[in-house]
Amino acid sequence: MLAVDVKNIKKTFISKKDTVEAVKDVSFQVKQGEIFGLLGPNGAGKSTTILMLTTLLSITEGNASILGIDVATKDKEVREKIGVALQDTGIDNLLTGRELFFTTCRLWGYSKKDSEVRTNELLDLVGLIEAADRRVKTYSGGMKRRLDLGLSLVHSPEILFLDEPTTGLDPGSRRVLWDEIKRLRDSGVTVILTTQYLEEADELADRIAIIDEGLVVAEGTSDELKASIGGDVITFAFDSDDDLENAKNILSNTVQEKNELRLTVEDGASRIPGYLKDLTGQGVEVSSVSANKPTLDDVFLEVTGYRLEGSEESPTPDEKSER
Amino acid sequence: MQSNRSFIVQLQILTKRMVFRVIRRPLAELPNLIISAFFLFVYDGALGGVFGGAASGTPFDFAKGNFVNFILPVSIVSASLSGAASGIYLVEDIESGVFKRYQSMPISRWAIILAPMNVGAFRVLVQSSLILGIGKFIGADPAVGNIGFLIVLSLAFIWGMGFAGYSVAAGVKSGSSQGAQAATFLFFPAIFLAPTFVPREALKGWLETAAAYNPTTYVIESMRSVMVDGWELDVLFRGYLSAGIFAAITLTFAVISARKATEKA
Ligand SMILES: Nc1ncnc2c1ncn2[C@@H]1O[C@H](COP(=O)(O)OP(=O)(O)OP(=O)(O)O)[C@@H](O)[C@H]1O
Ligand SMILES: [Mg+2]
Repeated sequence: MLAVDVKNIKKTFISKKDTVEAVKDVSFQVKQGEIFGLLGPNGAGKSTTILMLTTLLSITEGNASILGIDVATKDKEVREKIGVALQDTGIDNLLTGRELFFTTCRLWGYSKKDSEVRTNELLDLVGLIEAADRRVKTYSGGMKRRLDLGLSLVHSPEILFLDEPTTGLDPGSRRVLWDEIKRLRDSGVTVILTTQYLEEADELADRIAIIDEGLVVAEGTSDELKASIGGDVITFAFDSDDDLENAKNILSNTVQEKNELRLTVEDGASRIPGYLKDLTGQGVEVSSVSANKPTLDDVFLEVTGYRLEGSEESPTPDEKSER
Repeated sequence: MQSNRSFIVQLQILTKRMVFRVIRRPLAELPNLIISAFFLFVYDGALGGVFGGAASGTPFDFAKGNFVNFILPVSIVSASLSGAASGIYLVEDIESGVFKRYQSMPISRWAIILAPMNVGAFRVLVQSSLILGIGKFIGADPAVGNIGFLIVLSLAFIWGMGFAGYSVAAGVKSGSSQGAQAATFLFFPAIFLAPTFVPREALKGWLETAAAYNPTTYVIESMRSVMVDGWELDVLFRGYLSAGIFAAITLTFAVISARKATEKA
Protein backbone atom coordinates (compact mmCIF):
# COMPACT_ATOMS: atom_id res chain seq x y z
CA MET A 1 0.00 0.00 0.00
CA LEU A 2 1.15 3.52 -0.71
CA ALA A 3 2.01 5.65 2.28
CA VAL A 4 0.68 8.75 0.61
CA ASP A 5 -1.28 8.98 -2.60
CA VAL A 6 -2.07 12.44 -3.88
CA LYS A 7 -4.15 12.85 -7.01
CA ASN A 8 -4.54 16.25 -8.61
CA ILE A 9 -5.19 18.20 -5.48
CA LYS A 10 -5.92 21.86 -5.65
CA LYS A 11 -6.37 24.61 -3.09
CA THR A 12 -8.03 27.90 -3.77
CA PHE A 13 -8.28 30.53 -1.05
CA ILE A 14 -11.21 32.81 -1.60
CA SER A 15 -11.47 36.01 0.36
CA LYS A 16 -13.46 39.17 -0.23
CA LYS A 17 -10.47 40.85 -1.80
CA ASP A 18 -9.08 38.18 -4.08
CA THR A 19 -8.77 34.56 -5.01
CA VAL A 20 -5.44 32.80 -4.56
CA GLU A 21 -4.71 29.49 -6.25
CA ALA A 22 -2.08 28.37 -3.77
CA VAL A 23 -1.97 24.81 -5.10
CA LYS A 24 -3.04 24.35 -8.70
CA ASP A 25 -2.40 20.71 -9.46
CA VAL A 26 -0.28 18.52 -7.28
CA SER A 27 0.04 14.75 -7.57
CA PHE A 28 2.60 12.39 -6.13
CA GLN A 29 2.98 9.02 -4.54
CA VAL A 30 5.09 8.15 -1.54
CA LYS A 31 6.07 4.57 -0.79
CA GLN A 32 6.25 3.30 2.74
CA GLY A 33 9.61 3.71 4.38
CA GLU A 34 11.00 6.42 2.12
CA ILE A 35 11.88 10.04 2.60
CA PHE A 36 10.00 12.11 0.10
CA GLY A 37 11.05 15.71 -0.49
CA LEU A 38 8.87 18.50 -1.79
CA LEU A 39 11.34 21.01 -3.13
CA GLY A 40 10.27 24.49 -4.06
CA PRO A 41 10.85 28.21 -3.56
CA ASN A 42 8.90 30.52 -1.24
CA GLY A 43 5.25 30.61 -2.08
CA ALA A 44 5.38 27.44 -4.19
CA GLY A 45 2.53 25.87 -2.23
CA LYS A 46 4.54 23.45 -0.08
CA SER A 47 2.96 24.36 3.25
CA THR A 48 -0.51 24.50 1.75
CA THR A 49 0.00 20.99 0.40
CA ILE A 50 1.21 19.73 3.78
CA LEU A 51 -1.71 21.38 5.58
CA MET A 52 -4.17 19.69 3.26
CA LEU A 53 -2.54 16.28 3.68
CA THR A 54 -2.49 16.64 7.46
CA THR A 55 -6.24 17.45 7.59
CA LEU A 56 -5.66 21.04 8.69
CA LEU A 57 -6.97 22.57 5.47
CA SER A 58 -9.78 21.34 3.30
CA ILE A 59 -8.93 20.15 -0.20
CA THR A 60 -10.64 22.26 -2.84
CA GLU A 61 -10.41 19.61 -5.54
CA GLY A 62 -8.81 16.22 -6.04
CA ASN A 63 -8.12 13.29 -3.72
CA ALA A 64 -5.53 12.36 -1.19
CA SER A 65 -5.16 9.27 0.94
CA ILE A 66 -2.75 8.26 3.67
CA LEU A 67 -2.18 4.51 4.00
CA GLY A 68 -5.31 4.10 1.93
CA ILE A 69 -7.41 6.29 4.24
CA ASP A 70 -9.15 9.19 2.57
CA VAL A 71 -7.89 12.48 3.99
CA ALA A 72 -10.98 14.53 3.28
CA THR A 73 -13.57 12.23 4.82
CA LYS A 74 -11.67 10.33 7.51
CA ASP A 75 -9.61 13.03 9.14
CA LYS A 76 -9.80 11.50 12.62
CA GLU A 77 -8.34 8.22 11.42
CA VAL A 78 -5.68 9.99 9.42
CA ARG A 79 -4.57 11.96 12.47
CA GLU A 80 -3.90 8.72 14.32
CA LYS A 81 -1.43 7.66 11.67
CA ILE A 82 0.46 10.86 11.12
CA GLY A 83 2.90 13.04 12.99
CA VAL A 84 3.11 16.68 12.01
CA ALA A 85 5.72 19.38 12.54
CA LEU A 86 4.51 22.54 10.89
CA GLN A 87 6.56 25.41 9.54
CA ASP A 88 5.52 27.91 12.21
CA THR A 89 6.44 25.80 15.18
CA GLY A 90 3.62 25.77 17.66
CA ILE A 91 5.67 25.50 20.80
CA ASP A 92 4.67 26.79 24.19
CA ASN A 93 7.63 28.88 25.31
CA LEU A 94 6.61 29.07 28.93
CA LEU A 95 6.76 25.33 29.52
CA THR A 96 9.84 23.17 29.85
CA GLY A 97 10.74 20.58 27.24
CA ARG A 98 9.82 17.81 29.65
CA GLU A 99 6.43 19.35 30.44
CA LEU A 100 5.68 19.73 26.75
CA PHE A 101 6.46 16.10 26.05
CA PHE A 102 4.52 14.95 29.06
CA THR A 103 1.48 17.05 28.16
CA THR A 104 1.58 15.84 24.58
CA CYS A 105 1.87 12.19 25.68
CA ARG A 106 -1.11 12.65 27.99
CA LEU A 107 -3.12 14.24 25.19
CA TRP A 108 -2.40 11.25 23.00
CA GLY A 109 -3.92 9.10 25.71
CA TYR A 110 -0.92 7.70 27.53
CA SER A 111 -1.30 7.12 31.27
CA LYS A 112 0.79 9.26 33.59
CA LYS A 113 3.30 6.51 34.08
CA ASP A 114 3.61 5.68 30.40
CA SER A 115 3.86 9.37 29.63
CA GLU A 116 6.87 9.70 31.89
CA VAL A 117 8.58 6.76 30.23
CA ARG A 118 7.80 7.98 26.73
CA THR A 119 8.91 11.51 27.61
CA ASN A 120 12.34 10.27 28.62
CA GLU A 121 12.63 8.10 25.52
CA LEU A 122 11.85 10.99 23.25
CA LEU A 123 14.01 13.52 25.08
CA ASP A 124 16.83 11.07 24.60
CA LEU A 125 15.99 10.45 20.96
CA VAL A 126 16.16 14.13 20.02
CA GLY A 127 19.08 14.86 22.33
CA LEU A 128 17.34 17.18 24.75
CA ILE A 129 17.85 15.32 28.03
CA GLU A 130 20.13 17.97 29.43
CA ALA A 131 17.86 20.86 28.50
CA ALA A 132 14.72 18.99 29.50
CA ASP A 133 13.93 21.03 32.56
CA ARG A 134 14.61 24.41 31.07
CA ARG A 135 11.87 26.54 29.64
CA VAL A 136 11.61 26.26 25.88
CA LYS A 137 12.10 30.03 25.68
CA THR A 138 15.78 29.43 26.37
CA TYR A 139 16.22 26.86 23.58
CA SER A 140 18.20 27.61 20.44
CA GLY A 141 16.58 27.39 17.02
CA GLY A 142 18.06 23.95 16.42
CA MET A 143 16.87 22.69 19.79
CA LYS A 144 13.36 23.96 19.08
CA ARG A 145 13.30 22.12 15.76
CA ARG A 146 14.42 18.93 17.44
CA LEU A 147 11.82 19.41 20.14
CA ASP A 148 9.23 19.93 17.45
CA LEU A 149 10.34 16.77 15.71
CA GLY A 150 10.18 14.87 19.00
CA LEU A 151 6.68 16.12 19.74
CA SER A 152 5.47 14.89 16.39
CA LEU A 153 6.75 11.41 17.26
CA VAL A 154 4.92 10.92 20.56
CA HIS A 155 2.36 8.44 19.25
CA SER A 156 4.89 6.61 17.05
CA PRO A 157 3.29 7.70 13.79
CA GLU A 158 3.81 5.67 10.66
CA ILE A 159 3.91 8.75 8.48
CA LEU A 160 5.71 11.93 9.40
CA PHE A 161 5.15 15.33 7.79
CA LEU A 162 7.87 17.89 8.29
CA ASP A 163 7.43 21.35 6.81
CA GLU A 164 10.85 22.94 6.29
CA PRO A 165 12.41 21.15 9.25
CA THR A 166 15.83 22.76 8.86
CA THR A 167 15.08 26.27 7.63
CA GLY A 168 17.14 28.78 9.54
CA LEU A 169 19.54 26.25 11.02
CA ASP A 170 23.30 26.36 10.68
CA PRO A 171 24.94 23.58 8.64
CA GLY A 172 25.93 21.63 11.76
CA SER A 173 22.46 21.59 13.29
CA ARG A 174 21.03 20.79 9.91
CA ARG A 175 23.18 17.71 9.65
CA VAL A 176 22.14 16.57 13.13
CA LEU A 177 18.52 16.80 12.08
CA TRP A 178 19.18 15.01 8.80
CA ASP A 179 20.74 12.14 10.69
CA GLU A 180 17.74 11.94 12.98
CA ILE A 181 15.35 11.93 10.04
CA LYS A 182 17.36 9.22 8.30
CA ARG A 183 17.35 7.14 11.46
CA LEU A 184 13.57 7.44 11.58
CA ARG A 185 13.31 6.35 7.99
CA ASP A 186 15.55 3.38 8.72
CA SER A 187 13.25 2.39 11.56
CA GLY A 188 10.37 2.24 9.11
CA VAL A 189 8.80 5.68 9.33
CA THR A 190 7.75 7.29 6.09
CA VAL A 191 8.81 10.93 5.94
CA ILE A 192 7.37 13.67 3.77
CA LEU A 193 9.34 16.85 4.11
CA THR A 194 9.42 20.16 2.35
CA THR A 195 12.53 22.16 1.73
CA GLN A 196 13.84 25.06 -0.26
CA TYR A 197 17.38 23.72 -0.10
CA LEU A 198 18.66 21.76 -3.08
CA GLU A 199 21.36 20.19 -1.01
CA GLU A 200 18.83 18.95 1.53
CA ALA A 201 16.63 17.40 -1.13
CA ASP A 202 19.70 15.85 -2.73
CA GLU A 203 21.19 14.42 0.48
CA LEU A 204 18.12 13.47 2.42
CA ALA A 205 15.25 12.63 0.12
CA ASP A 206 14.94 9.25 -1.53
CA ARG A 207 12.62 10.82 -4.04
CA ILE A 208 11.89 14.43 -4.87
CA ALA A 209 9.03 16.38 -6.36
CA ILE A 210 9.88 19.87 -7.54
CA ILE A 211 6.97 22.18 -6.94
CA ASP A 212 6.68 25.65 -8.38
CA GLU A 213 3.74 28.03 -8.43
CA GLY A 214 1.38 25.35 -7.20
CA LEU A 215 2.38 22.73 -9.76
CA VAL A 216 4.61 19.65 -9.59
CA VAL A 217 7.03 20.27 -12.43
CA ALA A 218 9.30 17.25 -12.01
CA GLU A 219 9.47 14.11 -9.93
CA GLY A 220 11.89 11.29 -9.33
CA THR A 221 15.02 10.30 -7.46
CA SER A 222 17.79 12.82 -7.47
CA ASP A 223 19.69 10.72 -10.01
CA GLU A 224 16.67 10.28 -12.23
CA LEU A 225 16.05 13.98 -12.23
CA LYS A 226 19.64 14.72 -13.09
CA ALA A 227 19.63 12.06 -15.79
CA SER A 228 16.43 13.50 -17.23
CA ILE A 229 18.46 16.47 -18.34
CA GLY A 230 20.25 14.08 -20.63
CA GLY A 231 24.00 14.25 -20.50
CA ASP A 232 26.27 16.97 -19.23
CA VAL A 233 25.82 20.64 -18.78
CA ILE A 234 28.23 22.86 -20.69
CA THR A 235 28.44 26.39 -19.39
CA PHE A 236 29.79 29.21 -21.55
CA ALA A 237 30.49 32.56 -19.95
CA PHE A 238 30.83 35.82 -21.87
CA ASP A 239 32.25 39.21 -21.03
CA SER A 240 30.15 41.21 -23.44
CA ASP A 241 26.46 41.15 -24.15
CA ASP A 242 27.08 41.21 -27.88
CA ASP A 243 29.14 38.05 -27.69
CA LEU A 244 26.42 36.45 -25.64
CA GLU A 245 23.70 37.40 -28.11
CA ASN A 246 25.73 36.16 -31.04
CA ALA A 247 26.54 32.92 -29.28
CA LYS A 248 22.86 32.42 -28.56
CA ASN A 249 22.17 32.47 -32.29
CA ILE A 250 25.02 30.18 -33.14
CA LEU A 251 24.31 27.54 -30.49
CA SER A 252 20.73 26.38 -30.42
CA ASN A 253 18.75 25.24 -27.39
CA THR A 254 20.68 27.20 -24.79
CA VAL A 255 19.35 28.47 -21.48
CA GLN A 256 20.58 31.89 -20.41
CA GLU A 257 21.48 32.69 -16.84
CA LYS A 258 22.97 36.16 -16.39
CA ASN A 259 26.13 36.28 -18.53
CA GLU A 260 26.16 32.54 -19.05
CA LEU A 261 24.67 30.18 -21.58
CA ARG A 262 23.99 26.59 -20.73
CA LEU A 263 23.69 23.69 -23.03
CA THR A 264 22.85 20.13 -22.17
CA VAL A 265 24.41 17.47 -24.35
CA GLU A 266 25.58 13.89 -24.22
CA ASP A 267 29.25 13.48 -23.48
CA GLY A 268 29.86 17.19 -22.97
CA ALA A 269 33.60 17.36 -22.46
CA SER A 270 34.45 15.88 -25.84
CA ARG A 271 32.22 18.33 -27.64
CA ILE A 272 33.61 21.51 -26.15
CA PRO A 273 36.37 21.96 -28.79
CA GLY A 274 33.80 21.76 -31.59
CA TYR A 275 31.58 24.39 -30.01
CA LEU A 276 34.52 26.67 -29.34
CA LYS A 277 35.60 26.40 -32.92
CA ASP A 278 32.13 27.39 -34.11
CA LEU A 279 32.06 30.37 -31.81
CA THR A 280 35.54 31.75 -32.31
CA GLY A 281 35.19 31.12 -36.02
CA GLN A 282 32.42 33.71 -36.06
CA GLY A 283 34.32 36.14 -33.88
CA VAL A 284 32.61 35.44 -30.58
CA GLU A 285 34.87 35.74 -27.55
CA VAL A 286 34.21 33.17 -24.86
CA SER A 287 35.59 34.06 -21.43
CA SER A 288 35.23 30.60 -19.93
CA VAL A 289 33.72 27.25 -20.62
CA SER A 290 33.16 24.14 -18.55
CA ALA A 291 31.36 20.84 -18.67
CA ASN A 292 29.75 19.31 -15.58
CA LYS A 293 27.45 16.57 -14.53
CA PRO A 294 24.06 18.19 -13.98
CA THR A 295 23.13 19.17 -10.45
CA LEU A 296 19.66 19.46 -8.98
CA ASP A 297 20.13 23.16 -9.52
CA ASP A 298 20.39 22.54 -13.25
CA VAL A 299 17.28 20.40 -13.10
CA PHE A 300 15.51 23.19 -11.30
CA LEU A 301 16.60 25.71 -13.89
CA GLU A 302 15.55 23.39 -16.67
CA VAL A 303 12.03 22.79 -15.35
CA THR A 304 11.24 26.22 -13.95
CA GLY A 305 13.38 28.56 -16.01
CA TYR A 306 15.11 30.09 -13.02
CA ARG A 307 17.43 29.15 -10.20
CA LEU A 308 16.46 28.24 -6.68
CA GLU A 309 19.76 28.99 -5.01
CA GLY A 310 20.21 32.51 -3.71
CA SER A 311 16.46 32.72 -3.51
CA GLU A 312 16.63 36.18 -1.94
CA GLU A 313 17.58 37.48 -5.35
CA SER A 314 15.36 35.13 -7.26
CA PRO A 315 12.50 36.86 -8.97
CA THR A 316 9.01 36.94 -7.57
CA PRO A 317 6.47 34.96 -9.58
CA ASP A 318 5.25 38.17 -11.23
CA GLU A 319 8.63 39.17 -12.50
CA LYS A 320 9.19 35.66 -13.74
CA SER A 321 6.15 35.60 -15.95
CA GLU A 322 7.30 38.76 -17.66
CA ARG A 323 10.34 37.05 -19.09
CA MET B 1 -0.41 1.61 25.50
CA GLN B 2 -2.93 4.29 24.65
CA SER B 3 -5.52 4.39 27.33
CA ASN B 4 -7.51 7.48 28.02
CA ARG B 5 -8.51 10.15 25.61
CA SER B 6 -11.81 11.14 27.14
CA PHE B 7 -12.97 14.70 26.85
CA ILE B 8 -12.65 15.26 30.58
CA VAL B 9 -9.05 14.06 30.68
CA GLN B 10 -8.13 16.24 27.72
CA LEU B 11 -9.82 19.26 29.24
CA GLN B 12 -8.02 18.62 32.48
CA ILE B 13 -4.62 18.36 30.79
CA LEU B 14 -5.14 21.45 28.68
CA THR B 15 -6.41 23.41 31.66
CA LYS B 16 -3.42 22.39 33.70
CA ARG B 17 -1.12 23.56 30.96
CA MET B 18 -2.92 26.93 30.89
CA VAL B 19 -2.58 27.21 34.64
CA PHE B 20 1.17 26.66 34.23
CA ARG B 21 1.22 29.51 31.78
CA VAL B 22 -0.56 31.80 34.20
CA ILE B 23 1.63 30.85 37.14
CA ARG B 24 4.77 31.44 35.10
CA ARG B 25 3.71 34.98 34.37
CA PRO B 26 2.60 36.12 37.79
CA LEU B 27 3.13 39.77 36.96
CA ALA B 28 0.42 39.61 34.34
CA GLU B 29 -2.06 39.05 37.17
CA LEU B 30 -1.12 42.19 39.01
CA PRO B 31 -2.52 45.13 37.02
CA ASN B 32 -6.15 44.12 37.26
CA LEU B 33 -5.79 43.11 40.88
CA ILE B 34 -4.07 46.35 41.79
CA ILE B 35 -6.65 48.47 39.98
CA SER B 36 -9.43 46.66 41.80
CA ALA B 37 -7.78 47.04 45.20
CA PHE B 38 -6.97 50.63 44.35
CA PHE B 39 -10.66 51.36 43.78
CA LEU B 40 -11.44 49.92 47.13
CA PHE B 41 -8.85 51.91 49.07
CA VAL B 42 -9.03 55.17 47.20
CA TYR B 43 -12.78 55.47 47.02
CA ASP B 44 -13.17 54.37 50.57
CA GLY B 45 -10.52 56.88 51.61
CA ALA B 46 -11.95 59.70 49.50
CA LEU B 47 -15.64 59.17 49.91
CA GLY B 48 -15.96 56.95 52.94
CA GLY B 49 -15.50 59.87 55.28
CA VAL B 50 -18.33 61.79 53.64
CA PHE B 51 -20.88 59.08 52.94
CA GLY B 52 -19.87 56.55 55.53
CA GLY B 53 -20.85 58.79 58.41
CA ALA B 54 -23.89 60.60 56.99
CA ALA B 55 -26.68 61.14 59.47
CA SER B 56 -29.05 58.25 59.39
CA GLY B 57 -32.32 58.96 57.59
CA THR B 58 -30.78 61.58 55.25
CA PRO B 59 -30.39 60.90 51.49
CA PHE B 60 -26.64 60.70 52.04
CA ASP B 61 -26.97 57.71 54.27
CA PHE B 62 -27.17 55.20 51.37
CA ALA B 63 -24.17 53.32 52.72
CA LYS B 64 -25.85 52.85 56.08
CA GLY B 65 -22.75 53.84 57.93
CA ASN B 66 -20.33 51.44 56.18
CA PHE B 67 -18.96 52.80 52.90
CA VAL B 68 -16.76 49.75 52.36
CA ASN B 69 -19.92 47.67 52.02
CA PHE B 70 -21.13 50.12 49.43
CA ILE B 71 -17.99 50.44 47.33
CA LEU B 72 -16.78 46.81 47.54
CA PRO B 73 -19.08 45.65 44.68
CA VAL B 74 -17.38 48.13 42.33
CA SER B 75 -14.02 46.61 43.13
CA ILE B 76 -15.42 43.13 42.71
CA VAL B 77 -16.88 43.92 39.32
CA SER B 78 -13.51 45.33 38.38
CA ALA B 79 -11.80 42.15 39.60
CA SER B 80 -14.25 39.99 37.65
CA LEU B 81 -13.09 41.59 34.43
CA SER B 82 -10.02 39.39 34.80
CA GLY B 83 -12.14 36.77 33.04
CA ALA B 84 -11.32 38.61 29.82
CA ALA B 85 -7.93 36.91 29.96
CA SER B 86 -9.59 33.79 28.48
CA GLY B 87 -9.68 35.34 25.05
CA ILE B 88 -6.12 36.52 25.34
CA TYR B 89 -4.91 33.04 26.32
CA LEU B 90 -6.74 31.48 23.42
CA VAL B 91 -5.48 33.97 20.86
CA GLU B 92 -1.92 33.59 22.14
CA ASP B 93 -2.20 29.92 21.26
CA ILE B 94 -3.61 30.70 17.85
CA GLU B 95 -0.81 33.17 17.17
CA SER B 96 1.95 30.88 18.39
CA GLY B 97 0.69 27.94 16.35
CA VAL B 98 0.00 25.78 19.41
CA PHE B 99 -3.67 25.79 18.46
CA LYS B 100 -2.82 24.28 15.05
CA ARG B 101 -0.71 21.62 16.68
CA TYR B 102 -3.61 20.59 18.89
CA GLN B 103 -5.89 20.55 15.88
CA SER B 104 -3.60 18.12 14.13
CA MET B 105 -4.05 15.73 17.05
CA PRO B 106 -7.18 13.80 17.94
CA ILE B 107 -8.26 16.30 20.60
CA SER B 108 -11.79 17.52 21.13
CA ARG B 109 -12.00 21.07 19.84
CA TRP B 110 -14.26 21.96 22.74
CA ALA B 111 -11.54 20.94 25.15
CA ILE B 112 -9.20 23.30 23.33
CA ILE B 113 -11.63 26.17 23.72
CA LEU B 114 -12.93 25.40 27.18
CA ALA B 115 -9.49 25.21 28.76
CA PRO B 116 -8.80 28.95 28.58
CA MET B 117 -12.37 29.61 29.70
CA ASN B 118 -11.74 27.45 32.73
CA VAL B 119 -8.63 29.36 33.57
CA GLY B 120 -10.45 32.65 33.05
CA ALA B 121 -13.10 31.48 35.47
CA PHE B 122 -10.46 30.40 37.94
CA ARG B 123 -8.82 33.80 37.62
CA VAL B 124 -12.11 35.57 38.29
CA LEU B 125 -12.66 33.52 41.42
CA VAL B 126 -9.16 34.07 42.76
CA GLN B 127 -9.05 37.78 42.07
CA SER B 128 -12.57 38.39 43.40
CA SER B 129 -11.87 36.35 46.51
CA LEU B 130 -8.72 38.32 47.18
CA ILE B 131 -10.61 41.59 46.88
CA LEU B 132 -13.36 40.25 49.11
CA GLY B 133 -10.69 39.29 51.63
CA ILE B 134 -9.20 42.75 51.57
CA GLY B 135 -12.70 44.22 51.86
CA LYS B 136 -13.47 42.10 54.88
CA PHE B 137 -10.16 43.08 56.40
CA ILE B 138 -10.92 46.80 56.12
CA GLY B 139 -14.40 46.41 57.49
CA ALA B 140 -16.86 45.03 54.96
CA ASP B 141 -19.73 43.39 56.78
CA PRO B 142 -22.64 42.15 54.65
CA ALA B 143 -26.11 43.05 55.90
CA VAL B 144 -27.22 39.46 55.27
CA GLY B 145 -24.24 37.97 57.08
CA ASN B 146 -21.23 36.17 55.62
CA ILE B 147 -23.34 34.40 53.03
CA GLY B 148 -23.39 37.82 51.39
CA PHE B 149 -19.77 37.32 50.40
CA LEU B 150 -20.69 34.10 48.61
CA ILE B 151 -23.53 35.79 46.79
CA VAL B 152 -21.24 38.58 45.68
CA LEU B 153 -18.67 36.03 44.54
CA SER B 154 -21.23 34.04 42.56
CA LEU B 155 -22.44 37.19 40.81
CA ALA B 156 -18.85 38.16 40.06
CA PHE B 157 -18.27 34.71 38.61
CA ILE B 158 -21.19 34.85 36.19
CA TRP B 159 -20.28 38.39 35.24
CA GLY B 160 -16.65 37.43 34.73
CA MET B 161 -17.62 34.56 32.47
CA GLY B 162 -19.57 37.07 30.42
CA PHE B 163 -16.36 38.96 29.88
CA ALA B 164 -14.52 35.75 29.18
CA GLY B 165 -17.01 34.95 26.44
CA TYR B 166 -16.74 38.44 25.05
CA SER B 167 -12.95 38.31 24.92
CA VAL B 168 -12.92 34.88 23.29
CA ALA B 169 -15.37 36.02 20.62
CA ALA B 170 -13.52 39.29 20.01
CA GLY B 171 -10.12 37.60 20.05
CA VAL B 172 -11.02 34.74 17.74
CA LYS B 173 -12.83 37.07 15.36
CA SER B 174 -9.97 39.51 15.11
CA GLY B 175 -7.45 36.67 15.27
CA SER B 176 -5.04 38.79 17.27
CA SER B 177 -4.32 39.29 20.93
CA GLN B 178 -4.90 43.01 20.41
CA GLY B 179 -8.45 42.12 19.53
CA ALA B 180 -8.83 40.28 22.79
CA GLN B 181 -7.08 43.05 24.68
CA ALA B 182 -9.47 45.56 23.21
CA ALA B 183 -12.22 43.71 25.01
CA THR B 184 -10.85 45.01 28.25
CA PHE B 185 -11.64 48.55 27.14
CA LEU B 186 -15.26 47.74 27.83
CA PHE B 187 -14.10 48.08 31.36
CA PHE B 188 -14.48 51.87 31.38
CA PRO B 189 -18.05 52.25 30.21
CA ALA B 190 -19.03 49.16 32.17
CA ILE B 191 -17.72 50.50 35.42
CA PHE B 192 -18.26 54.22 35.12
CA LEU B 193 -21.58 54.49 33.31
CA ALA B 194 -23.12 52.97 36.38
CA PRO B 195 -24.05 54.01 39.90
CA THR B 196 -20.43 53.63 40.83
CA PHE B 197 -20.01 56.12 43.64
CA VAL B 198 -23.57 56.94 44.59
CA PRO B 199 -26.92 55.18 44.22
CA ARG B 200 -28.76 55.45 40.93
CA GLU B 201 -31.26 57.94 42.37
CA ALA B 202 -28.41 60.43 42.70
CA LEU B 203 -27.38 60.19 39.03
CA LYS B 204 -28.95 62.64 36.66
CA GLY B 205 -29.42 63.38 32.98
CA TRP B 206 -27.66 61.23 30.38
CA LEU B 207 -25.73 59.28 32.96
CA GLU B 208 -28.94 58.17 34.60
CA THR B 209 -30.17 56.92 31.23
CA ALA B 210 -26.89 55.24 30.35
CA ALA B 211 -26.76 53.53 33.73
CA ALA B 212 -30.27 52.20 33.26
CA TYR B 213 -29.14 50.41 30.07
CA ASN B 214 -25.88 49.18 31.53
CA PRO B 215 -26.21 45.65 32.89
CA THR B 216 -23.34 46.41 35.28
CA THR B 217 -25.74 48.68 37.13
CA TYR B 218 -27.96 45.78 38.11
CA VAL B 219 -25.07 43.58 39.06
CA ILE B 220 -23.62 46.27 41.32
CA GLU B 221 -27.04 47.05 42.81
CA SER B 222 -27.65 43.44 43.44
CA MET B 223 -24.32 43.01 45.23
CA ARG B 224 -24.98 46.15 47.19
CA SER B 225 -28.36 44.98 48.29
CA VAL B 226 -26.89 42.06 50.20
CA MET B 227 -23.99 44.11 51.48
CA VAL B 228 -25.90 47.20 52.61
CA ASP B 229 -29.62 46.60 52.84
CA GLY B 230 -30.35 42.94 53.51
CA TRP B 231 -32.51 40.51 51.54
CA GLU B 232 -34.18 42.27 48.61
CA LEU B 233 -35.03 39.37 46.37
CA ASP B 234 -36.24 41.43 43.41
CA VAL B 235 -32.99 43.43 43.30
CA LEU B 236 -30.97 40.27 43.72
CA PHE B 237 -32.88 38.53 40.97
CA ARG B 238 -32.34 41.44 38.58
CA GLY B 239 -28.60 41.19 39.18
CA TYR B 240 -28.42 37.48 38.43
CA LEU B 241 -30.66 37.97 35.41
CA SER B 242 -28.50 40.77 33.95
CA ALA B 243 -25.28 38.89 34.52
CA GLY B 244 -26.84 35.68 33.25
CA ILE B 245 -28.18 37.23 30.05
CA PHE B 246 -24.91 39.01 29.39
CA ALA B 247 -22.95 35.79 29.89
CA ALA B 248 -25.39 33.77 27.80
CA ILE B 249 -25.08 36.19 24.90
CA THR B 250 -21.31 36.52 24.93
CA LEU B 251 -20.74 32.80 25.48
CA THR B 252 -22.98 32.01 22.54
CA PHE B 253 -20.92 34.35 20.41
CA ALA B 254 -17.78 32.74 21.76
CA VAL B 255 -19.01 29.28 20.82
CA ILE B 256 -20.06 30.39 17.35
CA SER B 257 -16.81 32.17 16.58
CA ALA B 258 -14.71 29.40 18.10
CA ARG B 259 -16.53 26.84 16.01
CA LYS B 260 -15.72 28.91 12.93
CA ALA B 261 -12.10 29.21 13.97
CA THR B 262 -11.72 25.47 14.34
CA GLU B 263 -13.33 24.70 11.02
CA LYS B 264 -11.05 23.97 8.13
CA ALA B 265 -10.47 26.84 5.73
N1 LIG C 1 -4.71 31.34 4.02
C1 LIG C 1 -4.29 31.84 2.85
N2 LIG C 1 -5.03 32.75 2.20
C2 LIG C 1 -4.61 33.25 1.02
N3 LIG C 1 -3.48 32.90 0.41
C3 LIG C 1 -2.69 32.00 1.00
C4 LIG C 1 -3.05 31.42 2.26
N4 LIG C 1 -2.08 30.55 2.61
C5 LIG C 1 -1.16 30.60 1.63
N5 LIG C 1 -1.52 31.45 0.66
C6 LIG C 1 -0.78 31.74 -0.59
O1 LIG C 1 -0.55 30.54 -1.25
C7 LIG C 1 0.73 30.53 -1.83
C8 LIG C 1 1.49 29.31 -1.35
O2 LIG C 1 1.78 29.45 0.02
P1 LIG C 1 2.54 28.34 0.86
O3 LIG C 1 2.62 28.82 2.26
O4 LIG C 1 1.91 27.03 0.62
O5 LIG C 1 3.98 28.38 0.19
P2 LIG C 1 5.30 27.63 0.65
O6 LIG C 1 5.75 26.86 -0.51
O7 LIG C 1 5.08 26.90 1.91
O8 LIG C 1 6.29 28.85 0.87
P3 LIG C 1 7.43 29.06 1.98
O9 LIG C 1 8.65 28.41 1.46
O10 LIG C 1 7.58 30.54 2.01
O11 LIG C 1 6.93 28.50 3.25
C9 LIG C 1 1.38 31.84 -1.47
O12 LIG C 1 1.25 32.71 -2.56
C10 LIG C 1 0.59 32.33 -0.30
O13 LIG C 1 0.55 33.72 -0.28
MG1 LIG D 1 5.84 27.01 3.74
